[in-house]
Amino acid sequence: MASRDVVSYETPFTRIARYASIVFVVLYLVWTLLPFLVMFMSSFKDLLEAFKLPAVGDWSGIGIFFEFTPTLKHYRSLFVDNSFATYIANSLIAAGGSAVISVIFGSLAAYSLSRVDFRGKQDLFFWIISTRMAPVVAVMVPLYSIFRSLDLVGTLPGLILAYTTFNLPFAIWILKGFFDNVPFAIEEAQMVDGATRFQAFRSILPLVAPGIGAFVVLCILFAWNDFLFAAIIGSGGAKTLPVATRELVQPQNIQWGAIMAAGVVTTLPMMALGLVIRKYLVTGLTMGAVKE
Amino acid sequence: MASVTIKNVWKYYGETPAVKDLNIFCPDGSFVSILGPSGCGKSSTMRMLAGLEHISAGDILFDDQRINDLAPKDRDVAMVFENYALYPHKSVFDNIANPLRLRKINETVVKERVTAAATLLEIAHLLNRRPHELSGGQKQRVAIGRAIVREPKLFLFDEPIAHLDAKLRAHMRGEIKHLQRTLGTTMIYVTHDQLEALSMADYIAVMHDGELQQWGTPSEIFNKPVNAWVAGFVGEPAMNFLTCSVTSRGDDVVLRHRNFEIPLLAGQVSQINGSSQGGAVRMGVRPDALSISMERPDDAAIQGEIFVNELLGGDMLVDVSLEDCRVRVKTSPEFAGKPGEPCYLTVNRQKWHVFDSQDGHAYF
Repeated sequence: MASRDVVSYETPFTRIARYASIVFVVLYLVWTLLPFLVMFMSSFKDLLEAFKLPAVGDWSGIGIFFEFTPTLKHYRSLFVDNSFATYIANSLIAAGGSAVISVIFGSLAAYSLSRVDFRGKQDLFFWIISTRMAPVVAVMVPLYSIFRSLDLVGTLPGLILAYTTFNLPFAIWILKGFFDNVPFAIEEAQMVDGATRFQAFRSILPLVAPGIGAFVVLCILFAWNDFLFAAIIGSGGAKTLPVATRELVQPQNIQWGAIMAAGVVTTLPMMALGLVIRKYLVTGLTMGAVKE
Repeated sequence: MASVTIKNVWKYYGETPAVKDLNIFCPDGSFVSILGPSGCGKSSTMRMLAGLEHISAGDILFDDQRINDLAPKDRDVAMVFENYALYPHKSVFDNIANPLRLRKINETVVKERVTAAATLLEIAHLLNRRPHELSGGQKQRVAIGRAIVREPKLFLFDEPIAHLDAKLRAHMRGEIKHLQRTLGTTMIYVTHDQLEALSMADYIAVMHDGELQQWGTPSEIFNKPVNAWVAGFVGEPAMNFLTCSVTSRGDDVVLRHRNFEIPLLAGQVSQINGSSQGGAVRMGVRPDALSISMERPDDAAIQGEIFVNELLGGDMLVDVSLEDCRVRVKTSPEFAGKPGEPCYLTVNRQKWHVFDSQDGHAYF
């Protein structure tokens, strides 16, 4: 899978294309990173300073943006006046819990779909992925009604169940591809060596670890960033970060500073997660597709 | 150690039979090779022995124990796979130790036995490597190490050296045979390479189309094939077949071909039995049972024309055109005939075979 050097020769066209691509990359970086920069800086600014912006076109006045006295008062307001520590915990439990459950059931189901032949297997597999085809909004009302009659609304287990409903088909779909690429002979060797079927299944899990890693990230991202489920099913007892942030917008008062700080608090854990498993994620998402 | 009895075993994949009514008995401690082309059912047989496939009908017994319904782990067999099937994320040591650890054997014993197996296979210096850092031959040794480390009842080798290069394959043939003799464990070795089977096995089971064609020692298989298919499959270069008719000529019974008439030996006349008199048969003769000369010899000879010479180092193969067919002759490299020249072939009648033209069974 290693990339290879491709011999290329300079022509006027490639030179123009090279400069154009540099310009594009710079614009793209500004487009994606500037909002984060503004958010990060503003979370440490007093509200007055945060809204001190140079006039449009006044490039010399850009220094104003960096002139401020750092303050932690917005973070204090999050964690002292509001209970953001609880919301972070809620987000972590909802995202992590659903990821763990989805990985366990997903890998078992994916392994079975990959290894065992049974009647209607193709239809079953299609049905599993087809549950992801309906837009979430379309099923929200019936789902809410079901959850309410089960007393799951406003609870963390309810939220975890909601996320798992949507993550599990995805897990099965991704992991099946990874299991398909593991040769049968490895499990067969395990079983002849003295392993049970379940031990043999466990023994090949390290071979699908990139797939599991990739899925866990996507699953956590889905739950962490989700607003709809959290607002409707988790509302009240299981408030997560996006919902709590939204509540900082009050009719008479939009707490811009606190919103910026909440944005930083929401973003940082996912950035850290991304950095830690960046390498894993990239190999994971491509490895399943390429047969070695 | 155990003897293996395969009794009336069938294997069906859906409606298609892959193994048909197979009966084999492997004595305790023997080296048995199942030989056949791809798709002949030999791998299915092996997988049924290992417990990786269900047995559709019939019984398999290790000693007197019926093992049809035992899971692979309870059969106490060790298998070496064609593609080695090493665990890529484990070191060589952990690969070899795996069967012992699955049996929860004390770690000091594990270390001892893995080291002993690795030393026997000359891979002791590789124990810390990962499979992807090994060459094909080394991987194969690791796979064998994993099989021998726990002293099973039965070894199953599924074309273990098919992916190695020719030189290493020749070397490993000797090694595996020696290993089996040293350990004394019953071994069933599946291969499509007749040379491997002939050179290593005590007994060979030749399979074709899911049916056992012949069971015997390598020399029986080679010298007394029971039918034309076995005769043609075993032996390299392959046996020559010529369609002849059996007729009487005076007191003799002769094989008549467009090019020649050769009398049968006295004992062979009775073996061919009266009913085939006048009928068509297939004569089979191996390249080394033919001798070639440029001058007409005294006794009955076949006249032909040299088509091409192939020098194979110590031997020479000569393809000779008869009128409507071609035969191969093995001779010495000193043979001086050139393509296009006429030549004469003499058959060693002690070593020829006659097969029925319909069902291919051997008269002798």
